[in-house]
Amino acid sequence: MTTLRYSLAALALIGATHSAMAADHLDIIVPFSAGGATDIVARSFEPIFSQRLGVTSVVRNVAGASATVGTAEVANSEGNPNIIGYEPAGALSIQPSLKKLPYGPDSFTYICRTVSNPMFLMVSKSSDIESFKQLVEESQEYPFLYGSSGPGTLPHLAMAALTVNSDLKAEHVPYSGSGPAMNALAGNEIQIMADTETILENYDLRPLAVFAENRVEGYPDVPTMQELGLAEMDFAVWQGVVAPKGISEERTQQYAEACKATVESDKFKSFADKAKADIAYLGPDDFKAFVQKRFAANKQVLKDAGLTP
Amino acid sequence: MDMILAAMGDAFTWQALLAIVIGTWAGIIIGGLPGLGSVVGLTIFLPFTFGMDVITSMALLIGVYCGSVYGGSITAILINTPGTPQSAATTFDGYPMTQQGRVDEALGWATFASFFGGVLSCVLLIFCAPQLAKFAVNFGSIEVFALVCLAMLCIVGISRGSLLKGLVCGMMGFFFSTVGSDPITGADRFTFGTYALSSGLDLIPVVVGAFALSEVFVRFSARDEEATTIPEARLRFPNLREIGRRLIELVRGSFIGSFVGALPGTGAAAAAFISYAAAQKLSPRRANLGKGEPDGIIASESSNNAVTGSAFIPTLALGIPGDVVTAMMMGAMVIHGITPGVRLMVDQAQTVYALFVVLIIVNVAMLVLSKPSIGLFRYLFKLPLGFVMGGIVMFSFIGAVSVRGNPLDLVVAALTGILAYVLRRGGYPLAPLVIGMVLGPALESSLRRGLLISRGDFLSFFTHSGIAATLFVLIGLFLVWTTMAGVLDWRAKIAARREPVSPSSSRA
Repeated sequence: MTTLRYSLAALALIGATHSAMAADHLDIIVPFSAGGATDIVARSFEPIFSQRLGVTSVVRNVAGASATVGTAEVANSEGNPNIIGYEPAGALSIQPSLKKLPYGPDSFTYICRTVSNPMFLMVSKSSDIESFKQLVEESQEYPFLYGSSGPGTLPHLAMAALTVNSDLKAEHVPYSGSGPAMNALAGNEIQIMADTETILENYDLRPLAVFAENRVEGYPDVPTMQELGLAEMDFAVWQGVVAPKGISEERTQQYAEACKATVESDKFKSFADKAKADIAYLGPDDFKAFVQKRFAANKQVLKDAGLTP
Repeated sequence: MDMILAAMGDAFTWQALLAIVIGTWAGIIIGGLPGLGSVVGLTIFLPFTFGMDVITSMALLIGVYCGSVYGGSITAILINTPGTPQSAATTFDGYPMTQQGRVDEALGWATFASFFGGVLSCVLLIFCAPQLAKFAVNFGSIEVFALVCLAMLCIVGISRGSLLKGLVCGMMGFFFSTVGSDPITGADRFTFGTYALSSGLDLIPVVVGAFALSEVFVRFSARDEEATTIPEARLRFPNLREIGRRLIELVRGSFIGSFVGALPGTGAAAAAFISYAAAQKLSPRRANLGKGEPDGIIASESSNNAVTGSAFIPTLALGIPGDVVTAMMMGAMVIHGITPGVRLMVDQAQTVYALFVVLIIVNVAMLVLSKPSIGLFRYLFKLPLGFVMGGIVMFSFIGAVSVRGNPLDLVVAALTGILAYVLRRGGYPLAPLVIGMVLGPALESSLRRGLLISRGDFLSFFTHSGIAATLFVLIGLFLVWTTMAGVLDWRAKIAARREPVSPSSSRA
């Protein structure tokens, strides 16, 4: 019997440690596991941000279900001024259209966008395809396969939009992340992938086009989709900070100022340079408008590609 | 040569060596505590590395990683509770040996096999990383599907006793793994409209419930004091003659671990089960497996520690992380301005060589630190049983929830614990449940991806590539062999029944 009592006491202890929380303490939710691409940017962002804000902060990784579990936790903390989320593009602008979630694009107070990287259309360097035109021609006979880091992710959506808006014939094969997809590309299981410059450089791939309005610095020979005679397609991997709805105007302003100061700091700049993340700051109002625009555009793509009714 | 000397210089700084000692020791302890595994250990230590230089931070993380994979075996052997999922297969023979009073021998073999597997995979990593990476790239979805099929077939044999009960548990594990988002379409499955379930059931909470919590329940309910006492942890290394006798087992386990670790998306838990299944078919002492045979411990521990080295093969050669843990390491490298990728070995050769040196030192450190770590566990387990069990419950829940910060995982761990207790009472083996959860997702997504690639034509799987064809032939041979063995066994039984029964055997 004593054994049972000790165990119950231990259980009670766990409960007690969870309920204690200070007011000058900020929870930064990262909706991915520790060590992922988003987590690393968030962890470099966190110390500078909390110093500017004058609080003690903790990065909490709440992962699962395409980053929606952590995002939902932020949305569900309505009115709590001690929690923010460091969010990826997919969880804010794609997932709410794909499935029933406890949040939507209107469930947040938007603080700022931190970084944004345009996506490239790319093929393996070992393939003999040199241009988008050639890719389309060769796909007519036998459709290509394109990979993605999972269903409903940005690489998936960008390619789905491209196949809808051009004559390219290609089918989707999802993988559990960019790594396994790159393995498949190296083994010629898939032939096409849309992803950022980081992937392009790390895996030595050949870019054919860029999903952006203008050509990208450092890649002067890579045409935009519009230059190829296609509709405008703007896909970028971005990240930003959101807070729950119902926090005070004053607190929003504090967050926004701290965020701006953080992304403009030398420390964050030098990190972003190393991690090949392009700093692309947007303030609260611009960020909100941006997310709403992306949300609507992605919703249309999902519909056109037949991924949602 | 200059490069290697320079790399040695990088690795043999006092900061790096201190980081190795701290990391490895902490890793062993974290791995040994049920629920806290490699991922939790690395998450704890990752923030500390931000201020260190790249070699020191890698040394710390590699130490935690290798240490935790080894540490899981300590509790697996002592109290039938694997500290990490990677050590689940170690319980098969480790715990029976403990019950027979051979704790020192079991821990000795686990330690030596871990060291051997770790070092052998380092050697492979140093000398054949580019070649192995190239070979691993040829393992596409269809090849992985064939490999997982073969592994699952072999593993069916792991469930001792009733085959049917083993299959029931295996299917249950497989079913658990299908809860959550569909890997191909992203749609929610088996969530019953509950949003919390859409992230699926994670492996760690299930393993914690199935092994750690159910063990606590079993010990609570045992009336007999004898059954609930934990034997004193001691360590006795095998001598050279014993090692020589089992060298082939050590080498086989290490090679299987190195190979499986180099494939993306598999990991150390799968490697340990596959290696155990291989031992079951090939070990000269296979009849004793599951009853306290060191070969079983060797199969499991040499292969799961071999994964620690070989998981770096795709990471360093191609920039493709082999599992969650190497993905975290890649993240840590990015923070220090090293971007893993196809050119890493050329651009950052000195850093890569220093990492190799670090990996080897970590394995040596593991061997040296095994004694004090086991001493610590001996001290911990000398506490009154209530404290030990309470501690296990506490760490189990902490581990279950800290993997991804989802409170649902606490409920999952608790319910799995109760379910597992009921299953154990009914004589159902729990290992197949974990195997189903480990291999199920790999089987499902590789099959469905394979079908997407072959445009829905399953027959073309068999002719897809040489590797796939070979694996399917092996599967065919295995089926024929098992059926033949079964028929022969059945015939022998019939024949035995016809024999006149002697009075002495009828009682047994």
